[in-house]
Amino acid sequence: MTTMLDSSPVSVVEALRGDRSKRPLIDIASASGLRSLLEDGIFAIIGAKRLDTPLVVRTSSLHQRFATTDLGMSTSGRIRGVLIGQLLRLLSVGMSIDHPFDDALTAWRGDVGANELTEHLDALDDDERARLATDLEAHFVTLTRALGEIPARWTPRSSVRIFQRLAGGNVALRDVVDLMIGTSTSDVASIALFDVTTSPLGEGAERSMRFHALMQTLRTSLMPLRTSTFSSATGEIWIRDVDYELLARSVEDVLACVRDQWSAR
Amino acid sequence: MTLLHRRLAKAELNDLVAKAPAESVQLTDEHRASLSTRFRAVSVPGHRRLDAWGVERAGRSGSTFRWSPSTARRALGNASLRRMATRPASVRDAVRDELGDQMLRATSGYSRSGSLSQWLASAPHPVIGLVTAEAVNWATQLQEISQWLDAPWEVPASDAYYDVASARTTLRARRDLIVRNEGTRTIVRVRSGSPGKSAGPGLRADLTIEALADHEGIAPVRYIGLWPEAGVCLSVDGTLTDLRSGARDLVRTAVAQRRQSTLKAA
Repeated sequence: MTTMLDSSPVSVVEALRGDRSKRPLIDIASASGLRSLLEDGIFAIIGAKRLDTPLVVRTSSLHQRFATTDLGMSTSGRIRGVLIGQLLRLLSVGMSIDHPFDDALTAWRGDVGANELTEHLDALDDDERARLATDLEAHFVTLTRALGEIPARWTPRSSVRIFQRLAGGNVALRDVVDLMIGTSTSDVASIALFDVTTSPLGEGAERSMRFHALMQTLRTSLMPLRTSTFSSATGEIWIRDVDYELLARSVEDVLACVRDQWSAR
Repeated sequence: MTLLHRRLAKAELNDLVAKAPAESVQLTDEHRASLSTRFRAVSVPGHRRLDAWGVERAGRSGSTFRWSPSTARRALGNASLRRMATRPASVRDAVRDELGDQMLRATSGYSRSGSLSQWLASAPHPVIGLVTAEAVNWATQLQEISQWLDAPWEVPASDAYYDVASARTTLRARRDLIVRNEGTRTIVRVRSGSPGKSAGPGLRADLTIEALADHEGIAPVRYIGLWPEAGVCLSVDGTLTDLRSGARDLVRTAVAQRRQSTLKAA
């Protein structure tokens, strides 16, 4: 089942969880096959050579396969993305948010201290800062309207990091899933992955959705139930049921990215 | 060395617990005295603290510790899971209750400066939200792992600490779950990131400290390190060879630390 909603549903979380009686049994067999596909594919590209520094594949590497300019990757776009991510984390634990920009900024600084992006933010003049704050508030309103309340019994985890080393360390896959709900201890598939982007949805977002599902499968050896991506710019959400075909396509995405990086060396 | 490498999955984890050695090794007073002599030979001006992380970094000092949502998550997450074992609640509610207790400790004057309670009491509202999110992540992950286990388990009240007699040295071993199986114990330790090349020696150091911290010197039959972000687990067995190697690594780390502090002073 694929759901493409132009208008926000009553609750994104409800849409992700779906009908419990229709969930498939948990798939514990596919992960090893996918890993083999990746290992064989990487060997065909790199060979047995041992690299000094690994090739790194992230969601952002898959987002932009061709040399085009993505406005979401500009410094202000990145700051907006980080801040909306912080707000999602606060929403996931039921925190009340009165001032989205200030609250997100305080949470971010409390987490990472100072870095290149916070310095860029500090260098903004009052007008630029006010514009960013207004922009963020608009994204936040779109997100909260769509997301609704996240019940604690659905065990939401935010900003979940995943790391996989392949081909003896020659390739490293890195990922961060914005929000994960459901449990891996059930007999039926229950994990749903949710990604937020402040850009409109495009082909890159679809690759990201697939990549999140692949990484979760490789990490836990259990296939997740659904993967989704939400645009806080347009309020659009794409939800996909995870199956072997979707994961195999993500393997092809990863191998294409490895091939690009290898040929550029 | 008995290092085993497995994927982190329910069957693999239960297999590691079930197939651990049946007999526990016991450290004697002679072992303790010998370790103390070695540490005394590597004297330092102040008090020394050593743990598996120090062993993995070969004694190199890292950045200064500061409380942050990610450094607070383990203490709060483990305490929340322990709370849930006695009083069923959702992970989020257990974390909130734990946070409330910590802050109460600070306001009632039962915490020292620089402690987690003090930091939480002075942290702004959004940072508390982020601390909650991190602790919920940690506790949920540990809860799922514990639910996978077939054998009975408990969340320890604290890490294992051992003061080396007359050597002004404290050793600390991280432990997140204690699994009891037919009169023996297996320790589970959870770490962020992915295991590096020195993860094995780090695990052995924890094993040795855990055995030393036991009042009868009984070593766990197996020490299992989990890296959920990478989906892998490593384990070392509580054999005398591994315990000796762990002790040697700790002494070597103390030597490396002293060398570095001498260089820094020069």
